[in-house]
Amino acid sequence: MVAASLPPEVTAPATPVPYIETQPAAGVSADLLSTDLTQNRIEVSSSFQGAKVILYGAVFQPEDQPSDVVVIIRGPQASMRLIRKVKAGAVWLNSRPVVFEGAPGYYMAASSQPLDRITDFSHRRLLGLGLDYIAMDTSRENKVVTRYGVKDVVVNGIEDDYLDWRRAVIRLKSKAGLYNDNPLGVRFVDKNLFRAEVTLPSEAPIGDYTAEVWLFRDGQPVGYSEKKLTVEKVGFERFVYTVAHRHAWLYGLACVFMSMGMGALASRLFRRG
Amino acid sequence: MEIYLPIAEMSVNVWLMAGLGVVVGFLSGLFGVGGGFLMAPVLVALGIPPSIAVASQAGHVLATSTSSVVSYGREASVDYRMGGVMAVGGIAGAVAGVEVFRLLRLLGQADLMVAILYLLLLGTIGGMMLNESLRALLRARDGLPAERPKVKRPGWLYALPYKMRFPVSGLYISVIPPIAIGFVVGLLAALMGVGGGFLIVPAMIYLLRMKASAVVGTSLFQIVITTLVTMILQAVRNHTVDAVLAFILLIGGVIGGQLGIRAATRFRAEQMRVVLAIIILMAGLQMGFTLFVPPEDPFILAPTNG
Repeated sequence: MVAASLPPEVTAPATPVPYIETQPAAGVSADLLSTDLTQNRIEVSSSFQGAKVILYGAVFQPEDQPSDVVVIIRGPQASMRLIRKVKAGAVWLNSRPVVFEGAPGYYMAASSQPLDRITDFSHRRLLGLGLDYIAMDTSRENKVVTRYGVKDVVVNGIEDDYLDWRRAVIRLKSKAGLYNDNPLGVRFVDKNLFRAEVTLPSEAPIGDYTAEVWLFRDGQPVGYSEKKLTVEKVGFERFVYTVAHRHAWLYGLACVFMSMGMGALASRLFRRG
Repeated sequence: MEIYLPIAEMSVNVWLMAGLGVVVGFLSGLFGVGGGFLMAPVLVALGIPPSIAVASQAGHVLATSTSSVVSYGREASVDYRMGGVMAVGGIAGAVAGVEVFRLLRLLGQADLMVAILYLLLLGTIGGMMLNESLRALLRARDGLPAERPKVKRPGWLYALPYKMRFPVSGLYISVIPPIAIGFVVGLLAALMGVGGGFLIVPAMIYLLRMKASAVVGTSLFQIVITTLVTMILQAVRNHTVDAVLAFILLIGGVIGGQLGIRAATRFRAEQMRVVLAIIILMAGLQMGFTLFVPPEDPFILAPTNG
């Protein structure tokens, strides 16, 4: 099958790409970088209002070469449904939703300088560096057609508007503080020591996050390091969530008893008072 | 003080939510309505996902209604038999409504449907109430006697089979109309996330011609049963009930509700009806307004869970 979903201008920055699992390619060493997070587990309790985690690391450079660092934080994947408001007469109606799959629930790209100055388009695309290259797929919109005499061509049902939809996802997620490009987010505090701040809003999804750190030299990735970050509910929040999902009947009944009990109690208290 | 909601997965200000509960509860107590139609739009405007707002505020409606039913029950002004019969239809309607809501959400049309229903129902009922109550107020000012409602029971309603005696309501009527009314109200209640008092009360007065003293208590009793079922169904089918949010809202709600019941004795019924009519009309128009305003962003993210 020929993937015909790529528009002719392949060099356009916002070209959608299928997500390629980021594996350290040949020539990329794990020994050049050493990184860690100030926390690798974020506990979401009832007082949770978001969190700030610092990623810090050291670059081991045998000789003094200028190098750049890119930090990518990806949150758990979740499918998203996007609706477009369409005008019908005087009224604004909803379009059929388009489902995006494979997009991270949280994404942050921090770098020591703007990404386009660090490396070229093909590396950014291949490694998914920057908001323009986040992998997301609308596979449910895909259909197989014959085009230019070629059979079984996979095209996207919303092909012409695809970029509009994609940009809308990124815009809406950015507005909610869940997607973020920070071209100056990696700061060298010393010649070989760097740090980056990761800010998670209270709406950040629960689950497993990865922090990928890339070391670039002359536009080529030379070092890679990966760390895990877990955001999980603890204590009461965890208890409520678990009961609500595992014992839904019991949970529903408990909510009803709580509501009716409080109501009955109130009318009693106020009557006596 | 901020608190993280385990189901909505976001943090909210406790005092803001409790305050909302108090205000809506006060209005419910004052006017004898559930107040769901006021709370859902405010919660959504504060950023709570609509499905969670609708399911969680059921706790508030349930608490304030229970509190009122207990009070009315002492005065023997609740027709438990009529409420029970209506609830049979109400439960069926709620089951259907939760499923329809689920389907609409998958199609991305839930918020649109809610806006249309608000505009049509609240707009119509608010408009009719305003017209009728303003006329009553003007007549009272001119010293004329209150207009007698044209008591004309729809004959066919009484020709239906399966008749039953409802002593508290002073009726001997087929069970079909109450069940049908219950079904429609239960359906709309699940779709709009409201108790449905603003629909049942007029239906009881103008269609069934129930004894006026039994209307409010009985409608509240039927709302308790329908909301109870809706809440359990939302918890089981959609996992959208946030117990923490529900608790904060209902604590404020029961306090506000009792204050409202006390305040209600200070005002005249006709004046209160005018104010309630204006509030209903405004809520309907406000929601309907969103249909005509060009959206800030043409794209919106729809919830995926369910």
